[in-house]
Amino acid sequence: MVTVLLSAGWAHRGQKTFACHEGTVRDVIREFVESYPHYRRRLLDDDGEPLTYYNVYLDGDLVKATDRSRVAAPADSTVAIVPPLAGG
Amino acid sequence: MTSMGDLHTTGPTAPPAHAKMVRIPGGTFLQGSPERTLDWLEAEGQAFPRDWFTDETPQRPVTLRDYLIDRYPVTVAEFADFVARTGYVTSAERAGGSMVYSDYWEIREGACWHRPAGYGSGVRNRGEHPVVHISYPDAEAYATWAGKRLPTESEWERAATGRAYRLWPWGDTWDPTRANTAEWTGGSLRGLDEWRQWWSRIHNAQGPVPQTTPVGAFSPHGDSPDGCADMTGNVYEWTSTTAHLYAPETRCDPTIHLVMGRFRAIRGGSWMNFRYQVRCAERLYGDPTGWSNFALGFRCADDPPESGAEHHGR
Repeated sequence: MVTVLLSAGWAHRGQKTFACHEGTVRDVIREFVESYPHYRRRLLDDDGEPLTYYNVYLDGDLVKATDRSRVAAPADSTVAIVPPLAGG
Repeated sequence: MTSMGDLHTTGPTAPPAHAKMVRIPGGTFLQGSPERTLDWLEAEGQAFPRDWFTDETPQRPVTLRDYLIDRYPVTVAEFADFVARTGYVTSAERAGGSMVYSDYWEIREGACWHRPAGYGSGVRNRGEHPVVHISYPDAEAYATWAGKRLPTESEWERAATGRAYRLWPWGDTWDPTRANTAEWTGGSLRGLDEWRQWWSRIHNAQGPVPQTTPVGAFSPHGDSPDGCADMTGNVYEWTSTTAHLYAPETRCDPTIHLVMGRFRAIRGGSWMNFRYQVRCAERLYGDPTGWSNFALGFRCADDPPESGAEHHGR
């Protein structure tokens, strides 16, 4: 499984980590939103594609928006989603 | 006369470079928050856990030389003058939009410094408001043009807090009438649900119009000990400092660790925030690659004329 990690600023009811299946980073994000539709508005555009303004890190390495359909998130990896204004 | 959106600038308007700057005397101050502040934050019942704030710790002494810092954030009129003289095009204008808050953050087409709520909006009668939709490259470009630079995070915090630690520029007792925050605009807001209701009322009536106020509107009661205005609320402000932990052993929210070495420190909170996010030692971090939003601006700093030293702290 892949762990999706959110910041405390986004956490709904305090939950910051979520389990998803392996796949491309784009697929992981889409599965996450399907499982937790509360986050759909934040993460997907009107066409259901992942928005590009937030940063995504795979095991700590930045995955550019243009690479999210190509880069695979393997088992036991962590996909972190970080908004452009972090902390606070 | 130059027309920029619905704002008109006439002739040279830039003040002498240091006319609106405050000289902060050199010395040592305590940057960051003591543990007792984190204890207080936990006890307040605000929305975030303790490790959301541990990046403010440990509090440690930082020594700075004399420096100058703008008394106010850069205004719409000042930025308009810069654009009129240089033809500068901001990141938001090149991208075709910038971020505003509706029921959540979204990229609003056409939103930029002279259309803060997107197409159909403007900056008429907002010349003295702080400019918003400013990316890090935009802020650097303006500062360079003005013969100044962005403040470091240490310089910003010292200018806000004075020589001694305090929660807000005026002291340790919260007073919603001293700064432009959501608690001034919206009254007593208890939690995020009431914040959303407050913003929804404004958004439904006006659209995503920044609730900024003219710079200095809360002076002198909201000023820092050295006379800097709007250090609490109004707009988030860029600093030149790359995000870093005050001590390598500090552990905070995992996503905050990810922006260390990547984002730039942002200070002061904004009109959108509660009292907790507008404290002198509060740290935020912004993506410096061209992102901006409708609550994000900046002020400038400089070295005193007789200074040739590079010692600004981090």
